Amino acid sequence: MKSNITGWKDVYSFTLKQVLKTKAYRISYIILVLVVLLSMPIAAKLLFNNAENENGPSPITKVYVNNMTQFTDVSFEDIKSIDSFKHIDFEPMNKDYNEVVGQITEDERHSIILNISEENGAYSLHLSMIKDGPLKKSQLQRLGDVLLSSFTNSRMESIGVSDEQLTLLQTPVVSKITMTDINGEEILDEDTSISLSEYMFVYGILFFVMMTTVLMGTQVATSIVTEKSTRVVEYLLITVKPLALMIGKVFAMLTATIIQMLSMVAALVISNKISANYSSGNGSLLSQVLPSDLFANINIMNLLLCIVLVFLGLLFYAVLAGLAGATVSRLEELNEGLMLFTIVSMVGIYIGLGAANTLMSSGTNTYIMFAFLFPLSSPFILPGAILVGKASLLLVGIAIVLQLAFIVILFRFVAGVYETLILHNGNTIKIKELLKIARRQ
Amino acid sequence: MSLSVKNITKKYGDKLVVDDLNFEMSEPGVYALLGTNGAGKTTSIRIILGMLAKNSGEVLWQGKPLDVVNTNVGYLAEERGLYPKYSLMDQLMYFAKLRSVDKHTALDRIKYWSNRLGVDEYIFPKKGKSRKASKPNQADQLSKGNQQKIQLMVALLSDPELLIIDEPFSGLDPLNTDLFKSIIREEISKSKYLIMSSHQMPTIEEFCSDITILDRGKVKLQGNLSTIKKSYGRVNLLVKCEQDIAPYIASLNLQIVNKTPSEYHLRVEGEDQAMAFLSKLIGDNITVIKFELREPSLHEIFVEKVGVVQDEK
Repeated sequence: MKSNITGWKDVYSFTLKQVLKTKAYRISYIILVLVVLLSMPIAAKLLFNNAENENGPSPITKVYVNNMTQFTDVSFEDIKSIDSFKHIDFEPMNKDYNEVVGQITEDERHSIILNISEENGAYSLHLSMIKDGPLKKSQLQRLGDVLLSSFTNSRMESIGVSDEQLTLLQTPVVSKITMTDINGEEILDEDTSISLSEYMFVYGILFFVMMTTVLMGTQVATSIVTEKSTRVVEYLLITVKPLALMIGKVFAMLTATIIQMLSMVAALVISNKISANYSSGNGSLLSQVLPSDLFANINIMNLLLCIVLVFLGLLFYAVLAGLAGATVSRLEELNEGLMLFTIVSMVGIYIGLGAANTLMSSGTNTYIMFAFLFPLSSPFILPGAILVGKASLLLVGIAIVLQLAFIVILFRFVAGVYETLILHNGNTIKIKELLKIARRQ
Repeated sequence: MSLSVKNITKKYGDKLVVDDLNFEMSEPGVYALLGTNGAGKTTSIRIILGMLAKNSGEVLWQGKPLDVVNTNVGYLAEERGLYPKYSLMDQLMYFAKLRSVDKHTALDRIKYWSNRLGVDEYIFPKKGKSRKASKPNQADQLSKGNQQKIQLMVALLSDPELLIIDEPFSGLDPLNTDLFKSIIREEISKSKYLIMSSHQMPTIEEFCSDITILDRGKVKLQGNLSTIKKSYGRVNLLVKCEQDIAPYIASLNLQIVNKTPSEYHLRVEGEDQAMAFLSKLIGDNITVIKFELREPSLHEIFVEKVGVVQDEK
């Protein structure tokens, strides 16, 4: 005797096999993996090729110092203590300005001119290089910063400020606002906000889950509408119950999408490793962006919790997409049918995005707690928050329980209306009508 | 075994699309559901198959409510349903698996039926040099007739006890119609229960012992086809003579149903009136080429029943 879900495994294996065999899936799979695989090395090459290696020697070989001020005790010899600049020669400009420019243009293309001027007591250091030469502005900027510091030191020395006094002068003044209790004791306010790099990490995970959800939801809905529009569903329904049909289909699409996404993650890891070869010794691209203490929160338990949360989230949205797909009869109407899925997923995504921003700007608060626990947004925001250490085990446990409860409610609703929807042929069923059907059932 | 359809009623809003449909198949055979387009045939079939919810009534198989998922039912829908882009072999194996047919048996049956229906080249395509199938092996690459053959295979793969076929011959050429007919005969000979819906009356007469004529959801005529015909009596007279017989028809006040250049189709009150007409023709040396007194055809009964009702409306 077949139950309501008997046969779902047959539906699952057939659907998965056919999806994996389709050209569209294979082509999109190859393109996505290739894009991810190439993205990091290309980004590293673009980023690090333009950026000079900060520890490497500067390509500037000589600086002609054109001092137009009354301050003559200028010396830049102290910058020779810095490895990157120790090879640079500083030569006072004793020749005609234009002659020096000609000389640089012809023979000394790695040389630059430093113009020091004074106006109303304010000094100005102006670095000039030849147009279309081998040097870049960023390289001059780097040297300029060091020269400015050296020039300031020279000036201080000239007016009799000692090194110790200079250090004291340059020490920053720190201000702090605290609250005290009735006894005058300071109330410690823990900083629960995240850094920019942590935000980028949380955002990256949110974006990844969002992409997966949208991709999978569309695939589930398309698959169901295709069966409806080709009338295959009539043949299927005399062999399996509608619920078994939907479960098999949802899990098949979920598997296909997870295969695609896991391949992308694997490609990302490989791509990141390759990117180290293009980063001029700065390490892999992600190591520049990810929080340095990220790995402290990556352990089996946290990873498992993240996987469970993402899986439950995908399951919820896949069932919702299945329901959306069943409300239309033709592929052309799919966008209209997907309205409910789009609205609900957008609500979840935007709450998650808002939570990520709030987490960076002001740390944990009531809104963040809501976003962590709300079943629509938790799959998007909570995995990232777990991995940056901003979600406690208890909180994650409650979020999972709420997520499960939400799925059970949705499943019961879908089970009630799916049989009617799957054979519906005609105009798209609106939410109002959907509720009517549910009530009738 | 038996199939009972009891008091089935279906409404869409206020519109009654099936009104108190009842019939029973106490022994194997073919039951026909007839009707014009929109009469409620397909809706009735979908209700029997449990695809559509009914407002009232029940469908019993062996005395218990029919559960199509747990009964070996074959179904050929009016609108064909195949995955357009999947391989035919994959689809057939899938449908067989869903019907709990083991792989080996499924493969044997696919071979048998594909050979019988002449579609084996699409199901077992030979690979060309480019490793691509030399013949189309997806549904959307097949003609409508060939798709229909694949669909019939799907219906027969589980060797069903109850076979429901909705307009099985629509869109088939004469040769393939004959092929389908021979397969249906084969299934009848295996003592199966068949429900067939069609508006091709000669075909129904060829296969069905019991019929229901539906019109706008209502049952207009129901029962054993021979009994129905007998109840009308032999009142149809077809006459073909060399001379003009119009004056004789007029003198006996016979009703002309149809007239072609060579033949009259007349309605008589009974055999006595027909014999009197024949005696008169022979007595006046009229050369009679054809004189056939018969019961009305199903087509005529159908037109009379449905036509009258529609006229009344």
